[in-house]
Formats: sequence, C-alpha cells, structure tokens
Amino acid sequence: MRRTFIVFLFAAPLLAQQSIVETAPPKGPALVYPKDVILVKGAEPSASDAKTPLPEGGRIADDAYRNDYFGMTYALPRGLKQPFAGPPPSDSGSYVLVQLQAPDKPAVLITAQDLFFSASAKTAADLVSYKKETLPSYYDVERPPAELEIAGRPFARFDYVSPVAGLHWFVLATEVRCHAVQFVLTGRDTKAMETIVGDLAAMKIGNAGAPACVRDYAAGTNVLYRVEPVLTEHKFNRIPVRIVIDTKGRVKHIHFLAAFPQQAAIITDALLQWRFKPYLVNGEPAEVETGLMFGGGATTVVKAGD
Amino acid sequence: MSRRIVLIAVLVSLLTIPLIAQSDPGVRGGAAGAGNALSSVLANNPATILNFFNDAKDRFREVDSVAGALSGEEGVGLGPRYNSRSCAACHAQPAVGGSSPFQNPQVGDATADGARNTVPSFITINGPVREARFPFFFNTNNPNGGVEDLYTIVGRVDASTCTSLSQPDFNFAIATNDIIFRIPTPTFGSGLIENIDDATLLANFNNQQSNNFGVSGSFNRNGNDGTIARFGWKAQNKSLEIFAGEAYNVEQGVSNELFTQERPLPGEDRNTGLPSTCRVNATPEDHTNFNTTAIGTLSDTVQFAMFMRLLAPPTPSTTTPGGSTSINNGRNLFNAIGCNTCHTPSLTTSRSAVTPSLGQATANLFSDLEIHHMGTGLNDNVGQGDAGGDQFRTAPLWGLGQRIFFLHDGRTSNLITAIQAHNSSGSEANTSSALFFNNLTTSQKQDVLNFLRSL
Repeated sequence: MRRTFIVFLFAAPLLAQQSIVETAPPKGPALVYPKDVILVKGAEPSASDAKTPLPEGGRIADDAYRNDYFGMTYALPRGLKQPFAGPPPSDSGSYVLVQLQAPDKPAVLITAQDLFFSASAKTAADLVSYKKETLPSYYDVERPPAELEIAGRPFARFDYVSPVAGLHWFVLATEVRCHAVQFVLTGRDTKAMETIVGDLAAMKIGNAGAPACVRDYAAGTNVLYRVEPVLTEHKFNRIPVRIVIDTKGRVKHIHFLAAFPQQAAIITDALLQWRFKPYLVNGEPAEVETGLMFGGGATTVVKAGD
Repeated sequence: MSRRIVLIAVLVSLLTIPLIAQSDPGVRGGAAGAGNALSSVLANNPATILNFFNDAKDRFREVDSVAGALSGEEGVGLGPRYNSRSCAACHAQPAVGGSSPFQNPQVGDATADGARNTVPSFITINGPVREARFPFFFNTNNPNGGVEDLYTIVGRVDASTCTSLSQPDFNFAIATNDIIFRIPTPTFGSGLIENIDDATLLANFNNQQSNNFGVSGSFNRNGNDGTIARFGWKAQNKSLEIFAGEAYNVEQGVSNELFTQERPLPGEDRNTGLPSTCRVNATPEDHTNFNTTAIGTLSDTVQFAMFMRLLAPPTPSTTTPGGSTSINNGRNLFNAIGCNTCHTPSLTTSRSAVTPSLGQATANLFSDLEIHHMGTGLNDNVGQGDAGGDQFRTAPLWGLGQRIFFLHDGRTSNLITAIQAHNSSGSEANTSSALFFNNLTTSQKQDVLNFLRSL
C-alpha cells in the first residue's frame, strides 16, 4: 500500500499533462489509488514550520498520550484503547485529542477548545458553566460545576446523568495556553470512572516555557503594520489562525486550524509582513501567542467604498 | 459426557446469540409514509397550486427519450450520456420522490429502445441505483470527481446518427480504486429544508458547541454569495432548482436553462468528446415553453424543483416497529448518546411566500445541514465546494424507516452496518457511535434501531 502511494506521488506530475480520457485505459502501468486514505481534503490544519509543536500533534505511544504543545503526558487507563483517531481541528477551534473506548468500560474523550475562537466562553471554567446552562432537559445534573485541583492545576468539574440510558458523564476541564482541555468520561460504572479521575493526578500537563497567550493581541494599536490577505477561491469559510509573535514584533509561527492550502499560502504571505508592538512582560519584550480569524469568520467588515 | 455437555452448551449459545442480539427491523412495511403534497397544497392554498403540484409530479415521472417521439417516453433530450431515463425511476422508494427502489431500473435502461450498453458490474437488479464518479483522472493525482454517466444513446432507435460513443472504462476504474458511487437522495420535505434560514442553522451550530461528543462541523457555503448550501450528499447545491437542473443534465443528459450544454464526461475533450452526430437536439432541450398554458409555460426543471418543494415530509410511525414504548425509549437514547448533535431532530422554517405549510413550520429532518468529517471509512475523495473527500452533509433521517439502501453509496441495507460505518479514523461520529456499540445494552440498542425504523 505504502509503495503504491509513493509511486502515485512521483508519477502524478509526469502524467498530469497527458491527454485525459476515461473511456479508454491509459497506456503504461496503471496507478492504483490507496484505499482508506483521504487524498482530497477540504480545509485542513497546517503550519508555517514543522518544528513548533501543534495542539493536534499529540500521539499515543507506550500506553500513554503525549502532547508537546500542552506539555501533557497521560497514562491511558487500563483496558482502554483508541481504535480510531479523531477528526482534524474544526473551524470553530475544537480539537479531538484522544478517544479511548472498550466494550462495557467507561469511554474517555479528551478534547481541547481554543478559547480564542469559542463563541460561548473565554475561560475553561466559563465553558464548563456554559455546558451546565445549556444541558438538555433529558439529562440530570449530578454535580454542579465546581473547582478542584488535579495534577497541581485548577480544574472545573461537572457531572450529569442520562436516566434513560443509565450513563453518567464526568466533565473535567483545565486551561492550558488559552485552550480548555477537557476530559469527558462516559459510562455506567461510576466507581470505575472515579478511578480514572483519581488517576488524572499522575498526569503531567502544562507548558511552562510556552509563550504568553493573549486574546485579541493582533488588533487595534498593537498592530503597527498590516497587509490584508486577498482570498480568491473559497472565500467564505472560517479560517482560524494562531500566531506566535516574537520579541521584535514579527510573526514567528503560524498555525492554521482549518484552511485550504491556497488560503494558507495567501494569509502566510500577508502575516509575515505584519508588524506588532512587542508584548512586554515586566517591561521586557516577550513572545506572545494570539489568534486571528480570516475568511467568512472575520469579525471586521469592509464597507463598500473603503 | 462432560465434553458432550460443553458441546451442546456451545451449540445452544451459537443458536441463541442471534436471537438475543439487536437487529435491524428492516424496511418498514405498510403504506408509504411519504409521497403526498404538503397539506396546504392539498387544500389548494394558494389557488391553483395543487394543479402545479400534479403537473410537476407527472413531469417527475415522465420517461425521456432522445427526441420525445416514442410512445410512453415523451420527455425530450435523453443523452447523449445518461444514468437513467426518468426522475421517478430512481427517486422511487417508498413513493415518487424517494430513493433507490428494490428493483434497479438502470439494468433495463442499458438496453432500452435498442441501446447497446454493457451493464457495469456495480449495477445489479437488486442493488441500489448508482451514479459513478472517478475521484481522479486516470493515472494522475488531478482530482476529477465529476459524474461518469453509465450509458450512451448509441444503438437507440431514436438516435440513429449517434454511432460511436463509448462508455467510461469502469473496469479500469475499479481495478485502480478510482471509482466511488452515490445513490439518489430522497426529496420528501425538501421545501422545508429550502426554507430554513441561515440564521437558524447558525444558531443551531452555536448550540452544538457545548456538546461532549467531539463533534464540530461546518457549512458548505455557496461560492458566489457565501450563503449556506444544503442539497446533495455534500450540501453542494444551494437550491432545489440548481439541484434539479444539474440532475437533469447529469443523470438524464437533458440540457436545460440552468445547465445549458450537452455534457461530455469530465475528462473528455470539450470539442470532440461528444460527436456532433450524437448531439441530436437543439439546446437547451428543456426550456420555458412560450404560447402555452400557465402551467405548460414552465420548464421541466422548474417543475421538478416545484415537485420537491411541495412534497410533504415523511410521516413517522408511532408504533412500528417494536411498539410505542420502544420507539420513545429509542428516541431518548438517540438523544442521550449524542446522535442528535448532528442529526438535529427539528429546525423551524422561515415565513413562506409559496404556501402556508412551508412557513414557520417545524421540519423534523434529523439533520443540521452541516458538513462533518466522516473519516477514512466513508471518505470518497470527491471535493465539492467547501466539502473535502470525507466531509458529508448530515443525512436527514426522516423517512429512514422505509429506505432500502444506506450511506452515500448505498453500500449496505443494514442499519447496524450503517451506524458502524460512522466509526473510522478522522470521523466526528466516533464517540457517539462507540457509545451505541460499547455502552448501551442489547435492549437499548434495539430501541434505537426501532426508533430509527419508525421514522
């Protein structure tokens, strides 16, 4: 399978210019397309460099989930596995980091919501409260949102139950780099679920060396010079972008949560020309991470004639 | 002795497991729960609208031939390439306007009226109606994704000038994994879907953001004005009229006022792909008809859209299968495990200038009309608008109880297999479908299946 795909990548540019007629088989060796591989993508995540850790860059190895962006190492609960990876980040800033499942065992879903792009909350605690406020009537609250400490970090916890399904939900959320990292446990056996909660204490989470994260830093008088990207195709989808600004006020790193490749290229060209006031910590310039929304989700409207 | 007991116990368990496991109740029998006009249309409100609906239904059932001169095949413009010969032939189950019927009309279409087509291996008499697409132009990484019509008019008694036009090489496409399929989407209740305001969809989108199932979709927006498109498997079509015009051109080969030219295959030469001898009629073949009655003035395309717009939504059963208690329980479980996050049970339409039943009505569509990542298992590597290869519109579930084939390509008739297919790498539905399989009891699963087959 892998060999086929490599052949496919190399052969394609050579063959692309040939006459294309599907009514007759082409001459030469047939190119077989791999099954179960998404080759035609919509808006997808990408970044300006391959070195900087990304929220979606976590991996499972040696029975643990590791995520360098969130500074996270989490030992998987015994007996749970991730049969399938989650979807790519969404254009509303939602990540599925891990989905752990097994028959008749509690399920563990770990997600992250980029709080720069959340319509409902600016903090992890807000998000948990919002979940309680918007809880559908077919669930019953078992434990209202409350703060607690896990692994040396503040968490918000909220429990509810579906009486008809006999399933319980434990939602625990903490904030890391302006993301609400959430652990959602679902199951019948609340004792087993509490054990999983207890084991969270051994988790490592939080990235002390990360840049400060500041919502809306790339706005107003912080922006000294900007070049507007001009999108051509796919103009109306939301394009959430995280950037890291260096100590000299230049864009050091760009992460597209969901963008078509051409959009990413155009926006990258523009952002690399932007200049910012350096972010100051104790009077000293420091790196800062912030978010921007382009495309159909942009918050500014250019009036006719502008 | 003890070995015999063990053997008997094993045999008994093998025999009883199928009896106690949940199962798809199958296509719900009884009268078709769909196919009628909206109630205000049946009440002829506004005046004459019922005449328009009846005329539209007739046209939807009309069989096309090349020149419209064959008895019983008075529709004009079939081909040069086509997938079938009538809208209603494919949109048939459980009533006109629905989806793929038990007997696939495309087998007969291959040789109707003297046509000399080979029936591709993926078209079978008891299989789903299918259109085929090649995700890539052969031997390249250039995305194709356009429809490759199954048949040509060569050999037909009404196409004597068209003597040379080949079918696509489906065998090569199959051998190279360069083919995917789509089945007809049911059109019941389409007018309600058309009349849901973008603001309503966006409000529903915002409400979904607090879900605990890992779901976060997006919309397929119309490239010209940014409004939300909503028809087709990938929500690639903005309106029913666009949907109808494209289908008329692509599926039956009838050029019309929305898609005005005869259509070569995606990879064929634009000039020579369709020989002039096969372009039998002046174009567009379907058009506004001047100097006739009010109803007769309209083109087929306009009336196809009108038929879909005025069709009532399917009526669910409150008792079948499994009884009302099981169905109600299944509905509650469906909600509890988060299926309703994407399969939004109902949305409210805007005010309607067409007929009262379309205005400020509750559409129980079980869809958010968003596109969602469905992972590698359902990916078809066809991009349409903002939708990538694995992104599909949440399929409306109303009428599901009487559908035969499931998923975009009709790969299964078993509801459990269809739910299982929601699980694959990259799918937004992994958590909810895993809760269904891993965390519900057998009886609860059966309730969910009964509920779905009641729709």
